[in-house]
Amino acid sequence: MSLPPPAALVDVERGTVDRRIFWERELYERELERIFARCWLFVAHESQLPEPGSFLTTTMGEDNVIVARGRDGVIRAFLNSCPHRGNRVCHAERGTARGFVCNYHGWSFGLDGALRGMHESGAYERTPGFDPAEHGLLQVAQIDAYKGFVFATFDAEAPPLADYLGDFRWYLDILLDNDDGGTEFVGGCIRSVIACNWKVAAENFAGDALHAGWTHDSGARAMGGASVPTLDGQESYQVNVNGHCWEFNLDLVGNAATFGDKRVTKNLRVREQELAERLGPLRARMIGAISSATVFPNMSFLPGQQTFRTWQPKGPHHTQLDTWVLVNRSLSDELKEAYRKGVMMTFSPSGVFEMDDGENWEYSTRSNAGVVTRAQKLHYGLGLDSRIEHPELKGNVFRSQLNDANARAFYARWTQLLEADSWAQVNDR
Amino acid sequence: MTPAKQLARLCAADALAVGEMRRFELDGAPPIALYRLADGFHATADTCTHARASLTEGDLEGDEIVCPVHFGTFHVPSGRALCFPVTEDLHVYPVHLADGDVHVELS
Amino acid sequence: MGAGERPVSAELAAAERFLFLEARLLDAERYDEWLALLTDDVHYWVPGVENRNRTDAEGPFAPGRMAHFDDGWTDLQRRIVRFTSETAWSENPPTRHVHVVSNVEVEPAEREDELLVHSLTVVHRGRYEASDEALYGRREDVLRRVEGELRLARRRVILAHNVLPSKNLNTFL
Repeated sequence: MSLPPPAALVDVERGTVDRRIFWERELYERELERIFARCWLFVAHESQLPEPGSFLTTTMGEDNVIVARGRDGVIRAFLNSCPHRGNRVCHAERGTARGFVCNYHGWSFGLDGALRGMHESGAYERTPGFDPAEHGLLQVAQIDAYKGFVFATFDAEAPPLADYLGDFRWYLDILLDNDDGGTEFVGGCIRSVIACNWKVAAENFAGDALHAGWTHDSGARAMGGASVPTLDGQESYQVNVNGHCWEFNLDLVGNAATFGDKRVTKNLRVREQELAERLGPLRARMIGAISSATVFPNMSFLPGQQTFRTWQPKGPHHTQLDTWVLVNRSLSDELKEAYRKGVMMTFSPSGVFEMDDGENWEYSTRSNAGVVTRAQKLHYGLGLDSRIEHPELKGNVFRSQLNDANARAFYARWTQLLEADSWAQVNDR
Repeated sequence: MTPAKQLARLCAADALAVGEMRRFELDGAPPIALYRLADGFHATADTCTHARASLTEGDLEGDEIVCPVHFGTFHVPSGRALCFPVTEDLHVYPVHLADGDVHVELS
Repeated sequence: MGAGERPVSAELAAAERFLFLEARLLDAERYDEWLALLTDDVHYWVPGVENRNRTDAEGPFAPGRMAHFDDGWTDLQRRIVRFTSETAWSENPPTRHVHVVSNVEVEPAEREDELLVHSLTVVHRGRYEASDEALYGRREDVLRRVEGELRLARRRVILAHNVLPSKNLNTFL
């Protein structure tokens, strides 16, 4: 049976999703082409590339790339595949280098990706028409940063990063601009694999407050001695812009309290006045609140808890989770250490919260091996009537974080990108 | 009677600070790299003996020059090749200072 | 003693007994008894392992960077609270743990009441009908004699994995 078009797989009006979007390789390949090869993707935090020669390797979709700061101080990103025979050029995940040399034939590339020479280069110099300038590592089409977050896209026609993020920047400032010093990653990265479709994880952080009190009850008891507080009836919202999603309470410290470390929650309370003056009282109350967010397509974080991650697609049924800890640069060493330890204890493969997510996501994906199972629709109809106007909150606003509104917006954007032949056909929403 | 040395003037001695290097192209000679190390001026061939790279586009670290293409390293004062992939030493040009200028001896 | 037999030192025998008992307790999820094998000042460290070039002075792991475990006694106890919680859904049905310990070697430590113990760990977990993963690591432990019994005072496990081949780490290594 051939697949219906993407728009028929997601019904935003009725709130249903066709399970095949989590299973079919054909759709996955299309996602690689129309989402991962077109969208702005998170590739680095500026703090990971502190000086000329700093580099890291990462993936954009399934394309491996090198991200490097050149001698001129400029951060660039280019394919990590030699244009000669295709071998991976740089195997280290990060470090400092003068340049990158392919192990196969010694093709040597500068920090800017330009070809500088190769083994027995005389033979190439005698080859008519050989111009090294044509054989550098392929640059991404665009690279830009928003307050420390470096994004890149392979699509020259993608709108500027500022437009891609749109009004979601107003929300990102809660994370990235609540302090003069800006942010940095604490050292190191933890990587793991989950046998789920990448969207299952991305949508969870985009708008799934509902699961927190059930899935994570054991984690909450371990860290705080009590279950997750009831969310129903509290003032909370889901907001989304262009498929980027943030769902939140307004309790200031709910997420920050997951560590059970009073220094962390105290720091937020002490700063409450200053934060209200800087961001306004509403955003100030979002800073550490029970909340989660996803930047479309595959970058997520927990505000105030400070776990930060990307979901890298490794096939329709596999995802690699790369996770870091994001902190304000100006925090004391003691507080940075509290965040580092707190995030490891709660959200990592060994984290007492995250440990229960992986299985839910794996079996949500895996069950679709059955043809009858995957012919059933999934229910994404919570909060179908919850859209509201709000005087201050930007983007599309929905009352209550117990909602599928953000998930519906995420998949609406997904549909839009899969159906569009180019960015010209993609509208802001 | 010794044959007259063929000297070529490169630049004024104060044109380079310690830790700097510069490439010079002279008629009838391959490109020359002039380095000002802590102990004074040194000069070698600028072209790496491994491939075709210009060493002055690389990194001068102390008294060692690192080629920008495959990062082969030479000892500047002696021209000695220090690590893979460079195996052939650099030609070294004797340097003479006269009247505030730097000259090299072309053989 | 017969031809080809070598005496096993008392320390090696004691270290092996300790590690094998520890493995058996972990296999059986007897976490309270496992915790009792640790000193109060225990440091339990399983750093994240990065792919770095050999010449990179920062190295593949270091204290203060991201880790799977970087725990004191209280941290370990918190994890056990979750393991034994009736709402730890992914622990029910239970995992079938197999902790293999091998290549045990003993050296004197700095303190007279301590031993430096090297070993390899291979942890295999079977979950439900399909999940089936093995984790490999090299361990460096400090065992300390406390009131005549050996206790674990320090553990460092360097995993063979840069990308953990598992969605979670629901055991100790």
